[in-house]
Amino acid sequence: MTEGPVTEPEREVIRAEGISKKFGPVTALADVNLHVRRGEILGLIGDNGAGKSTLIKILTGYHQPDGGRLLFDGEPITLKSVVHARSLGIETVFQDLAMVNDLPVYLNLHLNRELTHRPLPFLRRREMKRRAREALDSIGIRIPSVTAEVGMLSGGQRQAIAVARSVYSKAKLLLLDEPLAAMGAKESAEILRLLRGLKQRGDIAIILIAHNYGQVMDVCDRVNLLQHGEITFDQYAKDTSVAELLELVNAEYRLDGNADSG
Amino acid sequence: MSSRPLLLGVLQVKELSILLVTIAAGIYFTATSGAFNSTDNYQTIAQYVAPWSIIAAGQVMLLICGEIDLSAGFVFTLAPFMMMQFFVNGWPLWLALLGAIVVSTLVGLVNGLIRTVLAIPSFITTLGMAFLLQGLVLIISNARPVGVPKDSAVLDVFGGAHWTEFLWALGVVVVMQVVLSATRFGIHTQATGGNPVGAAESGIPINRVKVVNFAITSTLAGLAGILQGTRVGSYDPTNGGFTTMFFAVASAVIGGTALLGGSGTVAGAFLGALLLGIVFDGFNLNGVSANAFNVVLGAAILGAMVLNVSLIVVRKRLGSRERI
Amino acid sequence: MTAETGATSRRTALKFLGMGGTTAAASALLAACTSVQDAQNGGKSGPFPGTPGWRFVFVNHVTTNSFFVPTRSGLADAAALLGIPEPQWTGSENGNVAQMASAMETAINGKADGIAIALTDDNAFIDLTKRALGQGIPVIAYNAGAAGNFPLTYVGQDLYLSGFRMGQRIAQKVTTGEILVGIAQPGGNNVQPRLDGITDALKQAAPGVQVQSVNTGAEQAGELNAMTAAYTGNTAVKGIYAVDAGSTAACAKVITDHGLSGKIGAGGFDLLDDTVAGVKSGALDFTIDQSPYLQGFLSVLYLYLYRLSGTLIAPPATDTGLTFVTKENVGPYATAHSRFEGGDNKDVIAMPGAIPLPPASVLSR
Repeated sequence: MTEGPVTEPEREVIRAEGISKKFGPVTALADVNLHVRRGEILGLIGDNGAGKSTLIKILTGYHQPDGGRLLFDGEPITLKSVVHARSLGIETVFQDLAMVNDLPVYLNLHLNRELTHRPLPFLRRREMKRRAREALDSIGIRIPSVTAEVGMLSGGQRQAIAVARSVYSKAKLLLLDEPLAAMGAKESAEILRLLRGLKQRGDIAIILIAHNYGQVMDVCDRVNLLQHGEITFDQYAKDTSVAELLELVNAEYRLDGNADSG
Repeated sequence: MSSRPLLLGVLQVKELSILLVTIAAGIYFTATSGAFNSTDNYQTIAQYVAPWSIIAAGQVMLLICGEIDLSAGFVFTLAPFMMMQFFVNGWPLWLALLGAIVVSTLVGLVNGLIRTVLAIPSFITTLGMAFLLQGLVLIISNARPVGVPKDSAVLDVFGGAHWTEFLWALGVVVVMQVVLSATRFGIHTQATGGNPVGAAESGIPINRVKVVNFAITSTLAGLAGILQGTRVGSYDPTNGGFTTMFFAVASAVIGGTALLGGSGTVAGAFLGALLLGIVFDGFNLNGVSANAFNVVLGAAILGAMVLNVSLIVVRKRLGSRERI
Repeated sequence: MTAETGATSRRTALKFLGMGGTTAAASALLAACTSVQDAQNGGKSGPFPGTPGWRFVFVNHVTTNSFFVPTRSGLADAAALLGIPEPQWTGSENGNVAQMASAMETAINGKADGIAIALTDDNAFIDLTKRALGQGIPVIAYNAGAAGNFPLTYVGQDLYLSGFRMGQRIAQKVTTGEILVGIAQPGGNNVQPRLDGITDALKQAAPGVQVQSVNTGAEQAGELNAMTAAYTGNTAVKGIYAVDAGSTAACAKVITDHGLSGKIGAGGFDLLDDTVAGVKSGALDFTIDQSPYLQGFLSVLYLYLYRLSGTLIAPPATDTGLTFVTKENVGPYATAHSRFEGGDNKDVIAMPGAIPLPPASVLSR
């Protein structure tokens, strides 16, 4: 393994050591070592079927690893379930975004966290709208009205709100699974700007799975390559290039057989 | 200038289109029959509207979260007989009534559990339950109608006295609309229907939401059955049934609740029931006979829906120009 | 103008034409349906003085059931004869009592001039009848009667008696074993008394016979399924009978389909096509004619005379008949397709050369 970046354990939000996972005879993950720090965006790349989704599911409590351990905020931890992970501050933005199209932005932002006039069960809509407005403004998301139905917004706007929801719920670790896959250039740029803004706040760690290496290099601090069940590459973005990433990923599939060694 | 946002606000009220259509129907029948605008006739219309809107209040919640209850019409039929069964066995009438309501709720719970635990689609689940209940009614009642106990203060409140059936309907509609639009449960119901996977990912207990909505619907259906039977003076095994359930669901859909789930309105369902009641009663008042009646009813419903949908399209077009 | 925009505007034009045409057609249909009753505004009838176009309302429990087609012919004929508009025919399609009550209430609110109702429930119509009478609207019961109610009279078959006579007839052929009796609406006022009559008659005349009732449901299509299933489940029965029109027709079919003609007893009520064919072929031993035509005709006649005479001509209780139709006299029922039995034939039906002997007269003391 090439020499990796210096670690700063006290700022680490999550660290995976020797994680392995098998499904029957298929080894999805063999020996994964990975870490992300507060205020850092880690880009996770790798071919389809390399195990990225499995790794994400382990980090979010959906699967239990067969071997290895996880540390959260420096403490060893077992993530019993998605709900448990979420309670610790690990949030995922899935491709389907978990948005309800017929509900307005402010209600989606508060999904399952709605404010009520305790002890009466009635919703505090005005307060939720106000807080939604505040949250979106503070992150820098441009939505004209928090009362618009989410189904009427563009893909990029909905993605932005999904991200905002995680931030609003005080996530410590945010995982984004191919958030830009279905987006055009302009909308992707908006999301990347949003992520950069989050990074600058300094209180959240982000793992970003993406296939567009240009975008990865644009916004990530570090890049990890998941190959054959292991992290085979861990470099700061500034120390590598799109070309190098392409080379690394495609080397084994070269048609002419002239793979560069090393 | 300030009238424009107000106009838009009004236009965006979901129930506007069905309200306009209902008013149009009222105007039509006022014009064609002298007896339409009388208290007595309003009472007849109210008698159509009450059972449909009470059941619809529950069906709206179920439809929103992606389910349906086809057995509601037979819970409607069964509840009064359960009440009489308890009463004949010595329970005081108020307790018998309560018992019948509880039995209705249990039916809904069973429906909901079969749907969520065994993952059988609600259409089939509740269809099976419908036949089961229909048979149960025939067995309990020996297929004979039963007279309503006379001079009962309890029953006076539950359909015996004039207008009580309708007042209950109004109360139910108001309460359920508030539940839908002003409580967490209402939002969760919408989320469960709009994006069940996403809702579950957000930690909403979608199975619990569904079971509760099934229980609500069948409770309301039982209440409605007792109210109508008491008003008519006879608890009949022919009351309720698939037709009543169907008209309740139709009221919900005509009133603006999407058959495929995700959105709906209880107030709209009430208006839908009102429209159906006006049309039913109006054509009867105009002297339309049985064979032609269904043709005319069908044409009226289709016409109302076409108008309804056109108004919704106009509303959306005007509304979206003001958005993003 | 390019071909494309031409096509668009043509399409738009067609769309408007379509919408306009449909609207026109719909309103015409609506007008046609609702104006049927305005056809005649009253007039003169033979020796009687001119009357306003009295509007009578018939409330029925199975409005679209073919049994009542002759009833509707009867009421229409009487109305035409007397110079009043054809009465409204409303109620419920599937026996729903609440719906019938609402229809009756609407008739009262609409100030109908007379109401004829099938009293299929003991309690639901009492208050409504009182209200109607209190507002000067005469109320007659037809086809089904109920105890404790207040119609001016009952025009129809004596239900219990017809069942009793049928039971006696069955006892002539079946003395032991089990018989199936199909009933469309168990507990319904218009059929249950017949079943009770059969049971009671058999207890007296043939106590060895067990009656197994079969619930066939009110819809004609389902009745055949129910009778077939009942027979298949019990092929040792000595007879298959029924107490309503649809179930009787179903019996005839079951017997014909399973080749049981003449092997087991069978019979029932009313004169649906399958039933008449069954009697003719021998599949059914008999059927009972309750003259639905007269139930409509006489009801209108009674209401008219009651109004005309200001209650002087009180409507009499009328048993519209208990005629056993057997192979001997089934001829005209089968061939004439007469309007009196629900067919289209309005011609005069030829009299037979000789008239079959009726049952001996019985005086009621």
